[in-house]
Amino acid sequence: MTMRESIEPDMTPLGPLGSEGPEGPEREFTIKARTQGQMVRRRFIRHRGAAIGFTALVIVIILAYTSIGFWKIPGWWYLGYTKTNPIVNGGAPTLDVLPAFIDGDGFMIGPHPFGQDQIGRDYFALTMRGTQISLMVAFVIGILSTFIGAVAGAISGYYGGQADNVIMRFTDLLLTIPILTIAAVVGNATGNLGPFFLAVVLSLLIWTSLARLVRGEFLSLREKEYVEAARAMGASSPRIIFRHMLPNAIGTIIVSATLTIAVAILLEAALSFLGFGIRSPDTSLGLLISTYQTAFSTRPWLFWWPGLFIVIIALSVNFIGDGLRDAFDPKQNRVRA
Amino acid sequence: MSEEILSVNDLSVVFPTEDGMVEAVRGVSYSLSERDVLAIVGESGSGKSVAAMALMGLLPKYAQITGDVRYRGEDVLAMSPKRSRALRGQNIAMIFQDPMTAMNPVYTVGDQLAEAYRSHHRVERKVALARAVEMLDRVGIPQAKDRARSYPHEFSGGMRQRAMIAMAIINSPDIIIADEPTTALDVTVQAQILETLIEVKDSVNAAVILITHDLGVVAGMAHRVLVMYAGRGVERADVEDIYRRPRMPYTAGLLGSIPALDSAGGKLHPITGAPPSLINLPPGCPFSTRCPLVTDRCLTEEPELAATDLPHHQVACHNWEKVAETPDPTLLFRTKAVDA
Amino acid sequence: MGSYILRRILASLLILLAASFLMFALVTLSGDPLAEFTGSNAPDKARLIQERIETLNLDRPFLVQYFLWLGGAIGCLIPGMSCDLGVNLSNQPVTSLIVDAFPTTLQLVLAATILAIVLGISIGIISAIRQYTAFDYSITFLAFLFYSLPIFWVAVLLKEFGAIRINDWLAEPAVTLPTAIVIAGFSALFFSAVVGGSRKQRLLVGLGAAVGAVLIFVGLVASGWFSNPGMGPGVVTIGAAAAAVGATLLFTNLENRRVLFIALGTAAAGVITAYAALPLLEDPSWLTLFGLGALVTAIGVGLGWIFGDIDRPAAIRAAVLTSFGVGLLVFMDRTVSSFAAYSAEVNGRPVATIGSKTPNFNGTFWEVTLDTATHLVLPTLAIMLISFAGYSRYSRASMLEVLNADYVRTARAKGLTERTVVLRHAFRNAMIPLATLAAIDFGAVISGAIITETVFGWKGMGVLFTSAVQRDDAYQIMGVFMVTAIAVLLFNLIADISYAILDPRIRLS
Repeated sequence: MTMRESIEPDMTPLGPLGSEGPEGPEREFTIKARTQGQMVRRRFIRHRGAAIGFTALVIVIILAYTSIGFWKIPGWWYLGYTKTNPIVNGGAPTLDVLPAFIDGDGFMIGPHPFGQDQIGRDYFALTMRGTQISLMVAFVIGILSTFIGAVAGAISGYYGGQADNVIMRFTDLLLTIPILTIAAVVGNATGNLGPFFLAVVLSLLIWTSLARLVRGEFLSLREKEYVEAARAMGASSPRIIFRHMLPNAIGTIIVSATLTIAVAILLEAALSFLGFGIRSPDTSLGLLISTYQTAFSTRPWLFWWPGLFIVIIALSVNFIGDGLRDAFDPKQNRVRA
Repeated sequence: MSEEILSVNDLSVVFPTEDGMVEAVRGVSYSLSERDVLAIVGESGSGKSVAAMALMGLLPKYAQITGDVRYRGEDVLAMSPKRSRALRGQNIAMIFQDPMTAMNPVYTVGDQLAEAYRSHHRVERKVALARAVEMLDRVGIPQAKDRARSYPHEFSGGMRQRAMIAMAIINSPDIIIADEPTTALDVTVQAQILETLIEVKDSVNAAVILITHDLGVVAGMAHRVLVMYAGRGVERADVEDIYRRPRMPYTAGLLGSIPALDSAGGKLHPITGAPPSLINLPPGCPFSTRCPLVTDRCLTEEPELAATDLPHHQVACHNWEKVAETPDPTLLFRTKAVDA
Repeated sequence: MGSYILRRILASLLILLAASFLMFALVTLSGDPLAEFTGSNAPDKARLIQERIETLNLDRPFLVQYFLWLGGAIGCLIPGMSCDLGVNLSNQPVTSLIVDAFPTTLQLVLAATILAIVLGISIGIISAIRQYTAFDYSITFLAFLFYSLPIFWVAVLLKEFGAIRINDWLAEPAVTLPTAIVIAGFSALFFSAVVGGSRKQRLLVGLGAAVGAVLIFVGLVASGWFSNPGMGPGVVTIGAAAAAVGATLLFTNLENRRVLFIALGTAAAGVITAYAALPLLEDPSWLTLFGLGALVTAIGVGLGWIFGDIDRPAAIRAAVLTSFGVGLLVFMDRTVSSFAAYSAEVNGRPVATIGSKTPNFNGTFWEVTLDTATHLVLPTLAIMLISFAGYSRYSRASMLEVLNADYVRTARAKGLTERTVVLRHAFRNAMIPLATLAAIDFGAVISGAIITETVFGWKGMGVLFTSAVQRDDAYQIMGVFMVTAIAVLLFNLIADISYAILDPRIRLS
């Protein structure tokens, strides 16, 4: 990471003791100077929720993309998600995670671990396909909306004046409209253009809160001595923005991007559930739940699996975001108690 | 000699942190008599504020406090929470460094003063408010009656610190702990605030523990001085002795680093280096890394606070005799400053 | 203050205008209101198309369409003018559709918001005070979980487990092993988390709570309580006394006998009033209830005034809170008592899964209340869970920050009790940033309501909206959209004003 020189030394060896609140004194005691990157990594790994969340997310991603394959690359799972198969075991899941000493037959994956739907499609393959699409949509939204939000916020906060006014009034406007309503209208009109297009459209709607955060950071960074110094030495505006200011807002941006991914997973699911998101023949976790919600009393697994995957993904991402927030926050309480 | 009201013996405070145990205060001892003014001097991180907060019971629960602190013979550290609460504010009051943040922004100044009074006296709000106005008047706030209805943000920094002093004396305490009371203020206001503090302390017959890093502040006010370094008391003496006959190189260095008016345009003479980390302190004298008189013994054996050639004067230094022999110990650091 | 509010309202109106234009453009340009005719082979197809083009002004330029719509819509905001939001594709006036749907959604949204705010903030604050305890960790985990739950998934689950299975069970209450385990587990976790303390202490409390809960549960089932539940004077009296003690604790401490006795006196007055007025409570109106409540509150205030002495303000506050608590208890007691009658009326399926009320239901005041409550409970819970997570996390963070503030240290140094420090100094300041959260959260609640209404079949704004989007019904979408936008802006305004009231540093001018 090259951010080292532009990061303000917030970890002076010994700060003013006792000028902090009762919780304060110990946070000033830091011994070795570490780079921001090292510190962030260290704190992130120590955050138990984030570490577990990160592991879970990686497993889900690997499982979803390797099992049934994607694009033209084949996966290791023997069934596709469109093919209908003869119904085994009444369509119920054949997965058995209970060891032999509890129910006597031991661990087993079976031909259809997540069961089958009414027409015999393998529900594991379907769920994996839904996970792929949902993940793709969420990550595209996370990355794209973060990019838009960061650039808009940076311009707004750095230049101020007219540009700031226009961008902020526009965010006011978008914040007035409950996101689901506008997303439903747009999704309904563009849903047939495919998941990627939907993701791009949704990104255009949800960048506003990050733009405001970045703008706030930039407004305060603009007054910092080292930015003034850079300006006095004749650095160009883009250089100041990208080299001196953006690295200092990177914590805010990364945390927000993570949380946006969690929001996006749920937004896509909600839209697809209402019928304004992903359309058949494509599928997503939200669409699967929507399709099978009435099957709850007869084939409950059709309802459980996609929901479970949404919750695992959203929960993991939220925990990762929390861990990152703690890791980037130099003020965080570092007491072991 | 007047009666001793507070004695602190071997007070230590340890904070457990992720990086290890922080020994913020390591065996500090002092005593305070009625109407006495004790200055505790040290740079940031020397443990002077933590020591004061420990005896006020204001440190977080995870702080490990040991030692023997007695207020009029009563064991302060072993008190029930209820007794400890009664002690705070009523017997020992505290003034904090930053008057900008020390007052609650959402209540009026008068309310906050009255609250301090009512928490120790069962009186009606009206009575407490009248008392608050009286105190504001006593610390020199003009139109105290109207100003009591103002919010803290409507006060200037100096006024707020006056209000904090008024809050401290509202219950006529025995001891006022003033934690860097002037550090956050404009230089022009500092002297006025100190003057007010001395006046009101006399009017309620309180003793004062003045915590500061500014030896200039100490000279005009204190009777006794305790110099702290890296969580320890390193020199304890009457105020005259500290200025004229320091026995600890660190104290001498502090005196030498005060810019003198007559040497305008001259160099500043700081003590080079920084205090050590309080986690996993190395053996030996904590000041050894910055001391011009360092010897081999300093690196292995930490000196205890012990008597010197002068009465009521203790110092924690193996080489205090060398300091005593130096005609002007404040010059000790000058040579060192050159090679740094 | 007045001019500030006026300026804010003006600014809001401008935003509303811009938003309406943006949305109108989006809605009219993205959907084709004639699409449903393309596959149609109705004989009068041409005439139908022509009619629709005329009613919706489809032959006019886009801007003209917008201003025609705006002309009618502006009337809705000006008293005395007629309100015309156009007609939907079925030729129904949008205004009347909204007038019908709005109260339903408002009920749902308000209930969920208020519950989420009250529960979320109190739990967040307890969590902050007990930072790094088992309680704190559990709440943190739950908040993250709720954040990550798709609301429609929760809604379907609630429908299955909170309604269908509960109704099945209520039809034949029996103690089964799974129910006993669930009840024991929940009460063990709950009480051990609330009590806190050392590991051993928590274990003992948890064990005691589990055994106690199962015993009570078995007793209730055996006595047939679930088919004819009630609280009875005993429970009401004990609850009233507990409310008095709680109110005293909140405003002073239990050693302040004066305040305690005044609160207990108020509680007694409340219980006596309730049972003396029992005939009045057979089938009361809201007016009767408020009258009785006001009477008890007045008695409490009187007691506080006369006997309060120097603690008069605290005594009056405790008395008012106590009378409120007693009122709530009596209300619950009366409502629960009519459960058997209500259950019989709805064929023994008391927890509803569809709609906001049983159609054509007539009964006493209590039965109607119960009917509303049983319809409201599950959708409210679904929406509340997600908002709750936000409020509890945010108030925890805000409280932690405030607890570290210098002025809280000053408050401690003054010798105030921990209760005063937390409630008077920390809590009051922690509330300030929460005003902003309430404004942001409101939009999310509306989105939640749209989804929840579809799952629970409420005929509210949400269903109006989704059905309109499905049909590309521009004017109906615009109608719903305008109402939600106004609601969001109004909520923002309220948040800003409360911000200024909470923080004297902010001057509204």
